[in-house]
Amino acid sequence: MGKIKLDRISMRFGDFYAVRDISLEINNGEYVTILGPSGCGKTTLIKVISGIWTPTEGKVYVDGVDVTDVPMEDRDVGYVFQNIALFPHLNLRDNVSYSPRVKDLGDQVMEERSTEYLELVNMLARAGMFPSELSGGEQQKVAIARALASGSKMLMLDEPLSALDARVRMELRYELRRIVKRLGITVLHVTHDQEEAMSVSDRIVLMRYGAIAETGSPLEIYRHPKSVFAANFIGETNLLECTVSDKSKMGKTKVRLRGGPEIRVSRTNFNIGDPVVISVRPEHVYPATDGLRAEVTDVVFMGTYWRVRTIAETRDHVEYNVSTSDEIPEVGDMVHLVFNKKATVVFARPEGGIEEEIRLE
Amino acid sequence: MSVLKRIDELSGNPKVRRSWFTLACAFFLIIIVIPSIFVVTKILTEWDLVNNILSDASTMDIIMGAVWNSFSIAFIVTVIDILVGLPMAWIMVRREFRGKNVLDTLMDLPLAFPTAVLGLSVVVFWAVPPEGITVPGLGLGITPYMLVVLLHIIFTYPYMVRSLSAILEQIEPNYETAAMTLGASRWTAVRTITLPLFRAGLATGFILCFARSLSETGGTNIALLLMGAITDDGGTFFTGPTFIAWMKTAFGGATSPEAMGAMILISVIMIVFALILLVVVRKVMMGFRIPIKKVWPDIGRKVSRGLLPKAKDVLAMAFLLFVVLIPSFYIFAFLTQPTGDIDFGGLLSATGTSFLVAGVAVAVDIVFGMPVAIYIARNKGNRLADVLDELVNVPLIIPTTALGFSLALFWGSFGFSDSVALMLVVLGHISFTYPLVVRNLVGAIEEVDPSYEEIAITLGAKPFQAFRKILFPIIKSSVLAGGILAFTRSLGETGATVAISDSVNTIPIYITNLVKAGMAGEYTMFAEAAMCSIVLIAICFVLMMVIRAMSQGGDRDA
Ligand SMILES: Nc1ncnc2c1ncn2[C@@H]1O[C@H](COP(=O)(O)OP(=O)(O)O)[C@@H](O)[C@H]1O
Ligand SMILES: [Mg+2]
Repeated sequence: MGKIKLDRISMRFGDFYAVRDISLEINNGEYVTILGPSGCGKTTLIKVISGIWTPTEGKVYVDGVDVTDVPMEDRDVGYVFQNIALFPHLNLRDNVSYSPRVKDLGDQVMEERSTEYLELVNMLARAGMFPSELSGGEQQKVAIARALASGSKMLMLDEPLSALDARVRMELRYELRRIVKRLGITVLHVTHDQEEAMSVSDRIVLMRYGAIAETGSPLEIYRHPKSVFAANFIGETNLLECTVSDKSKMGKTKVRLRGGPEIRVSRTNFNIGDPVVISVRPEHVYPATDGLRAEVTDVVFMGTYWRVRTIAETRDHVEYNVSTSDEIPEVGDMVHLVFNKKATVVFARPEGGIEEEIRLE
Repeated sequence: MSVLKRIDELSGNPKVRRSWFTLACAFFLIIIVIPSIFVVTKILTEWDLVNNILSDASTMDIIMGAVWNSFSIAFIVTVIDILVGLPMAWIMVRREFRGKNVLDTLMDLPLAFPTAVLGLSVVVFWAVPPEGITVPGLGLGITPYMLVVLLHIIFTYPYMVRSLSAILEQIEPNYETAAMTLGASRWTAVRTITLPLFRAGLATGFILCFARSLSETGGTNIALLLMGAITDDGGTFFTGPTFIAWMKTAFGGATSPEAMGAMILISVIMIVFALILLVVVRKVMMGFRIPIKKVWPDIGRKVSRGLLPKAKDVLAMAFLLFVVLIPSFYIFAFLTQPTGDIDFGGLLSATGTSFLVAGVAVAVDIVFGMPVAIYIARNKGNRLADVLDELVNVPLIIPTTALGFSLALFWGSFGFSDSVALMLVVLGHISFTYPLVVRNLVGAIEEVDPSYEEIAITLGAKPFQAFRKILFPIIKSSVLAGGILAFTRSLGETGATVAISDSVNTIPIYITNLVKAGMAGEYTMFAEAAMCSIVLIAICFVLMMVIRAMSQGGDRDA
């Protein structure tokens, strides 16, 4: 009832692969976000899954059945477009009952379903209105109701919240998860907003250049990213180039930053002399009496905390947070910084350099 | 330069601006609208003449037959255009394929062919041509009625495809995809979602094609002459415009009271019906709902898959090729025939007259149409602007032959007649080209953000300076495109010219006269008519290419 399997899917436009060799399994009822910079192939992937496009290579299975060549109107996959695409000449009820109507399920089913799903998204009171009379957030809710009213157990959402105001976006995010979880539906939610992905999904699929870069639960990816790209794209982080300078038999590792200072990091499998990159999130950097010397370049109020930007003696940019109850440094101050070594993740240094690795295009 | 400066200064004065606008409106009303429908008043002032005709059963039969032919042909042609135009619009807008650009150009080509030329070409292609024409064709024994339908499809089809494509381009393709992911077959999705969003385009396309078919004189006349349906002494088949033209030239001219009565009557009928139609079509199209309540999923699926959709596309292409393109180009078959001597002197003088008429008409259209267009575009929702906007369509929908006749009567009542025939012809051509130019201008000006000019004026520019330095450069390519469109239309016009004067010899009339001479037994005249046609096509084709280059240049700027 909604278990999706992709087997080596590729989608080629001319010579250009929008999506290349993707294999992925999604469980029944799972809420998966597809996250990645724009142009990385997210929309292409869900269009292939929903049958809007037929992949140039590979197979799509739903509940173990090969549906690759089943046309979209028989796929039974709900799809919500980035630009919403409610039918402008139909009122909300007719929009939502469109699927039962074209499947000729009869007036009663149309009535029941449209009532049920409009109710679910809290829009029943406006059933007689036309899409142009609604705000963006309301339109999006109706679009979701329309897709769900097809009775489909799978829902594809293409950046459903990107066109909305920040406030509405936040509210709708949780409402969305609540609704689909209640119905037990499998969701693929495309977004380029990592915060949105973190807050709604059971699992994040991080994409880049048409391929999957990494998958994992939000917590896993946040805490233990497997690549510099993931560490940088999901959440905020400080990236510093360094070299492994010492390693014990137990794996306890020390690295030497550019320009000399040596710090302890978590256990690794690297060898002494390996060029590496460490990633440490701002919340794991603390001011101290000793440690990496850095000059404050900027202090920004973030609401619940202050963000302090510094340039370290190693010429790396390092950012950290200061709680609003603590003393705030001033621009130009010299501070000493220490890293939480358990939360410091070490990666092999990418060949093209950090800049190249974290580029979004 | 100093003249421009002077105008700049003057334009700073609101009184001057107001009087210039008033002058332009007055021009529009007095020179264009009123003369176009003046003939209606003749029903009262010349009631005796009209009444004589009303009681003359045999003439009434001819008149009512001609009116019926005109309206029923226009209706059939428009419906066929819609049926074959819809799949074509889909192909042009929603498909990407190699050769799409070529198809796009081919589609417009029939518009570059003066209709008189098409009349000759179409008869030779489909029907049994008269003795003296040696180019072989299909030789089908079709009736004049069917032939006129086939002819009118050729020059209305591009308008229909263009209007439908323009709207389809505005309709979000995701609507259809969304409907399909919800379980609708393509057929059901198109029927319940895309087509209902199409109404405005259908109304525009309908009115454009209907009016064009209703109005056409030259091509129809040549076709009917060649079919032997109209001769100097009588005729077995008329359309409204060809009847007026025939009355004017063959029946002893407008001087005979009988002809006068008949011409007044049929002109008024054509004008009134056409105007009623304009209103009714709008209302009907806007109120018309495509039934979407009931769906038939299985049928929808069957017609959406497999061979049927392909067959529909193939048919649409075949129609374009065999009904529109090949019959139009068939005139070139005359190139395989030996040609006698062409009277270049005659051709040249007719060409000169045509260019003079078209050039002056278009220049006047632009100068006097600009203030009206600016006013309409910048005051949407304002009463006067809306009224002007509607009135601009009037000369477009009135059959040009009736318009020409009406105009000749109007100026005749002030004593202007054949002595200033050329000027009257120019006025006639101004009337039916003015809407083309103004429509284009309004469209272009609407696209331009008014704040550009406002900023220029707050920076100290005089209004005319702001127009000349800011607005005009932006809309220049549309002005030229509209101008050339009107120019080619004027070049190809027969009806209005004939109805106004029989002494002004423009190219289509020159060709018509060659064909008449051919019918009278001077067989070499047919080949000569064809050669003149080819020359005329070449001229119009070059102009069309210029429009394309310009409108594409415009796109690039935007
Ligand atoms: N119909 C198409 N034809 C050609 N290229 C396309 C088409 N659709 C998408 N692409 C290309 O595929 C890449 C991925 O597109 P898309 O899946 O829309 O990215 P995303 O949704 O991640 O922003 C882009 O580079 C885009 O230009
Ligand atoms: Mg996208």
